[in-house]
Amino acid sequence: MQIVQQRHGEVGVIAPSGRVDSTTSEALQAAITTVLDDGTTQLVIDLAGVEYISSAGLRVMLLTAKRLGGGKGALVLCGLGDAVRQVFDLAGLLPLFTVDVSRQAALGRLAVKPD
Amino acid sequence: MAPLELAIERRGAPPTTRSFDGESVIVGRTEKADITIDDYSVSRRHARFFRRNGVWFVEDLGSRNGTDVNGRRISEPSPVNPGDVITIGSSVLRLPGDHVAAAAPHSTIEAERDESIYSVLRPAADLMEEVATGGAAKAMARLRLLHEVHRALAAPIARADLLQMLLDQACAVLRPEQAAIFMRAADGSVERVASRRWGGGSAPMLVSRRLAEEVIDKRSAALVLDAQCDERFAGAMSVLASGVRSILAAPLADAEGCLGMIALYSSIGVRRFSEQDLEVLVSIASAAAMRIRNIDMAEAAAERRALDREIALARDIQMDLLRRRPPERPEVELAGRVIPAHSVGGDFYDFVIAGEKLWFVVADVSGKGMGAALMMAVGQTLFRAVTASGGELGELMTRVNHELAIENDRAMFITAMAGCLDLASGQLLLVNAGHNLPYHLGRDGAISMLNVRNSLALGVVDNAGYPVTEVPLAPGDAVLLYTDGVCDAIDEAGQRFGTSGLERALGEIASLPADAVVQHLCDAVIRFAGSAPQEDDITVALVRYRGAGV
Repeated sequence: MQIVQQRHGEVGVIAPSGRVDSTTSEALQAAITTVLDDGTTQLVIDLAGVEYISSAGLRVMLLTAKRLGGGKGALVLCGLGDAVRQVFDLAGLLPLFTVDVSRQAALGRLAVKPD
Repeated sequence: MAPLELAIERRGAPPTTRSFDGESVIVGRTEKADITIDDYSVSRRHARFFRRNGVWFVEDLGSRNGTDVNGRRISEPSPVNPGDVITIGSSVLRLPGDHVAAAAPHSTIEAERDESIYSVLRPAADLMEEVATGGAAKAMARLRLLHEVHRALAAPIARADLLQMLLDQACAVLRPEQAAIFMRAADGSVERVASRRWGGGSAPMLVSRRLAEEVIDKRSAALVLDAQCDERFAGAMSVLASGVRSILAAPLADAEGCLGMIALYSSIGVRRFSEQDLEVLVSIASAAAMRIRNIDMAEAAAERRALDREIALARDIQMDLLRRRPPERPEVELAGRVIPAHSVGGDFYDFVIAGEKLWFVVADVSGKGMGAALMMAVGQTLFRAVTASGGELGELMTRVNHELAIENDRAMFITAMAGCLDLASGQLLLVNAGHNLPYHLGRDGAISMLNVRNSLALGVVDNAGYPVTEVPLAPGDAVLLYTDGVCDAIDEAGQRFGTSGLERALGEIASLPADAVVQHLCDAVIRFAGSAPQEDDITVALVRYRGAGV
C-alpha cells in the first residue's frame, strides 16, 4: 500500500493505493491521524487506487468518520471501485458515508459547504 | 587561529619549514603521521602537537625514547612558544621566532592549570586501528589482555554479570577509582546500568549529556583530563561536582550501532589517564558490545517465546470456545469449523438450542490478532446471552448491536449471519449484519445463494435495525454459512477462490453428512491456496434440517 497526501486549501486529501488490509491499515490510520491532529477537519479519502479493502480497512474509515462526525468536520470518500464498493456495501456501511464519484466532485462538495 | 609553523631538521635531509592549520599534528615513524621521521629512534606515533583555546601544546604519545622541549623531557602536555626547540629522536623541530620573555617561564601552578584544560575526543574506530599497529611490546601486552577479555566474553554469562565483568577487566588494566556503564534506553535516555568503586573513590559517577552525545551518538572515545575545567563538558548534569577528575570513556559499539558507553573515573591526584589507556578501553568496549548485543538478542528471543506461549494459550482457549461439540437434536445435523489465519483470530460460529428453537451464527470481527479475538469472545458471549433469554431474532440482534456499539471508541465491528430455526416447522429466520450471503443446499442437490436482506454490521451504529428474512426449510434442506476468508482465499497466482470456487466445491459434496461438507469445503479452500499465505480466518458452518419427528 502507498499513501499520497495532498492539501487543497482547507481540505486534506489522502489517497491510499494497493491493498488496505489488516497489515497495512495501521499505516493508513496513522497517516489520517496525523492529518487530523494537525487541525484538518475537511477530509477527502480517495480510494481510486485501492484494489482491495478488508474489514480492518473499513474500521479505519469508520474511526475517521466517527472523529469527524457530530459537526466536528466532514469526511467524503471518493473513487470507490466495484470491489471496494462491494465490501462497503456488504457490511452495510455505505449509507454511513458521504460518497462521491471523483475527487473533483468530493472537493467541490467540501468547497461549497458553508463553515 | 595561528597555524603551527615548524622548521624540521631531520638527520640526513635538508631542513624544511611547514605550516599546519589543523587542530592536531602527529609526529612519528609511520607514514600516516603528519610529520614522518624515518629514524628507528623515533616511535611510530611518537608525539603530537595539538591546539587548545588557541594555544599549541606538544605531548609525548608514550614513545620509547621520549620528547624534549628546550632540552627538558616532558611527561605531560606542554605548551609551545616561538623559539622553542622540540627534540624527537635525532630530529629537531623548531618554532620560528624568538623566545618571548613573558611567555617562556611557567610557574608550576600555572602550567598545571593550563595543561589540565584538555580533553581528547577521537573516533573510536581510529583507536581500534592503533591497537593493532602500536609498538611491539605494548601491542603484545594489549593482545594478551584482549585475548583474556575475549576468552572471558566467550563463556556463557548473563547480561548483568557480563557488565560487571567488563568493569572488572577495565579496572584490572586501567586502575580507575570508579567505573560505570551507561546504556541508551529505548526512549533515548541514557541510564547507568552498572558501576564499581575501588579504593577511595566516592564522587558520584555521572556523565554530562554532552559527553554521552559525543561518545554514544558520535562513537567518539573520550579522554577528559579535567572535565571541570573543560567548558565543553560544563553545564547541566555536570560530571564533576566533586573535584578534579580524569575521565576515560569509550562507546559500546559494534557494526550494528552503539548500545551505550563505559566510563572510568579517577582523581587527577591519583591517576591521570593517557591516550594509550583510551586505546585499551576502546578495544575492550568493542569486544564487549558484540557480546552484549548477542545476549540482548537471546533475551529478546526468550521473551518472544514466552509471548508465543501466551498466544498459544489464548488460541487454545479460543479453540475451546469453538470446538464445543454442537448440540445434538434429532431434527438437525450441525457442523462448523474455523481455520484462523493468525494464531488467534476474529471469526466465530455458534449453535444454541433453546426450547424448540436452534439459534446459530457465523461472524467475522474486523481486524485480526488479540484485539479481534477479544471482540470475538465478547460477541459470542453476547449471542449466547440473548438467545438464552429467547425472543424475536431481529430484536435479539438489535440488542447485540446496542451492546457492541455503546462506547465502541475503537470502531471495531462484527459482520454476522444469524439464524433461528423452528425445529418443529422448519421455518428459518435469518438476519444479515453486513455478512456474506449464505447458500441453500436443497435435498435434491440444487445449490442457490440465499438473498438475505442486508443490514449494518454489528457495533457500528447504536440505533441500527435488523430486519429478518424468512426461508422455509423442508426436511433434507441445508444452509451453509461462511466468512469472507473462504471467497477471499488467494492462490499462488493471485486468483480469488470466489463464490464460483465455493459453488463448484459445494456441487460435489452438498449431499454428504454435515461434518463431511464442512471438512471437504475447508480442504478445498486450503488446496486452492496452496503455498500462498492465508490472509484471513476461514469459517464454514452447516445446518441441515432433517424434519420433525425423525
